Amino acid sequence: MKQLMMFGCEDEAEQKYSSKIEAPIYEPKNVKPHLLTLCDDYKTKALIREIEESTLPPEEKDFLNIAAQRHSVFHYERIADYYAHSTPEMQRLMEKSALVIIDFNAAIENGFVRLCDEIRGQFLEEYADEQPTT
Amino acid sequence: MSNLLPDTFAVFILTHGRPDNVITYKTLQKCGYTGRLYFIVDNEDKTVERYRQNFGAERVIVFDKKAEADACDEGNNFDERRTILMARNACFDLAPALGVTHFIQLDDDYTDVRFKLPETTNSLFIVKDFNRLLASFLKFFIESGACSIAFAQNGDFLGGFDNGKGIYRFQKRKCMNSFFCSTERPFKFIGAMNEDVNTYSTIGSRGGIFLTVPMVALNQNATQSKRGGITEMYLRFGTYCKAFTTVMMQPSSVKVSMMRSKNPRIHHSINWDCTVPCILRETVKQNLLPTAAKA
Repeated sequence: MKQLMMFGCEDEAEQKYSSKIEAPIYEPKNVKPHLLTLCDDYKTKALIREIEESTLPPEEKDFLNIAAQRHSVFHYERIADYYAHSTPEMQRLMEKSALVIIDFNAAIENGFVRLCDEIRGQFLEEYADEQPTT
Repeated sequence: MSNLLPDTFAVFILTHGRPDNVITYKTLQKCGYTGRLYFIVDNEDKTVERYRQNFGAERVIVFDKKAEADACDEGNNFDERRTILMARNACFDLAPALGVTHFIQLDDDYTDVRFKLPETTNSLFIVKDFNRLLASFLKFFIESGACSIAFAQNGDFLGGFDNGKGIYRFQKRKCMNSFFCSTERPFKFIGAMNEDVNTYSTIGSRGGIFLTVPMVALNQNATQSKRGGITEMYLRFGTYCKAFTTVMMQPSSVKVSMMRSKNPRIHHSINWDCTVPCILRETVKQNLLPTAAKA
């Protein structure tokens, strides 16, 4: 904590630079959202309507209909909330479709925290007695 | 200086037409890097010989640019290969012959590598032991199962460290510029322009993990101001085409917008909530959460 003293008193520095460093893990909410709110397919449906009304051959319509799905907007936080309150079968299929990513054995969360600690440790060692480079 | 890096790891500097000005090489020397290092150069570069003279033929690895271009999705029909896309993909093909399983791709214009901890705000603390830093990153990269992880870029911190919610800025799942990669977890970069954004957004949307570890940042000269390499392409086609490439590839969550800065320019804007699936703790899978309301 010696380095903090470079910028003033320790308390002052801690107050000023209080930002937490967190692993990019999402904490699901306790409320299960409605299924219809997980995905906004308004644009997709509009495109499909126009495709179906066209005079294009069926195979071209099929292709455009598949491509129209690219415009469906998935709300991944709501999807994660939904997942947290779903049946094991639904969870398994959501995982398989990569609608959520499970951090098995906390490899990402713990690894991220450990990496941050190591970087901070290296910084403290490299600048234990020195001023910043100017 | 420590050297905890395995022999199967190497730094790849992706460079073109700047054999006498590979700033990253000098920077790595200054911060004590002693591990394996290669210069990835394409066969359309007229300065290949000069690279060999400067750095030794054994460290200059030349790839067939046209062949790489034909093997990837450029996202346009400009027939313009002055872009880093092919070099990025070539690394995965070149690594096995070098006995490399893990590598980091670096651009050629980093002026320094610096700590970006909340307590280093407004002060410059250059990394002194790059070997040690790489070893820490490599360990996390391997354990995390990520497609790639990256250092932050100094410009990411414009506006401060705090995201306004008391959380260290920059928890996004982006990955730019410096890519830790593994031949065991290969992926394909896409799009001749904005290849990094295209790649992390499209593969990320399908569950591939890309992360930036924000406590270390690379510093570069201002983008689109340095002649040579991809800069020429951006000057020719404009940043609209660059940003719009990602919209084409991820139309449900990426827009083109104006970046407000000293030099305002068109830029991509990513709605992260609609781009990448959330990473959840394993306990969530075990259905331990109480359900407050059922649908």
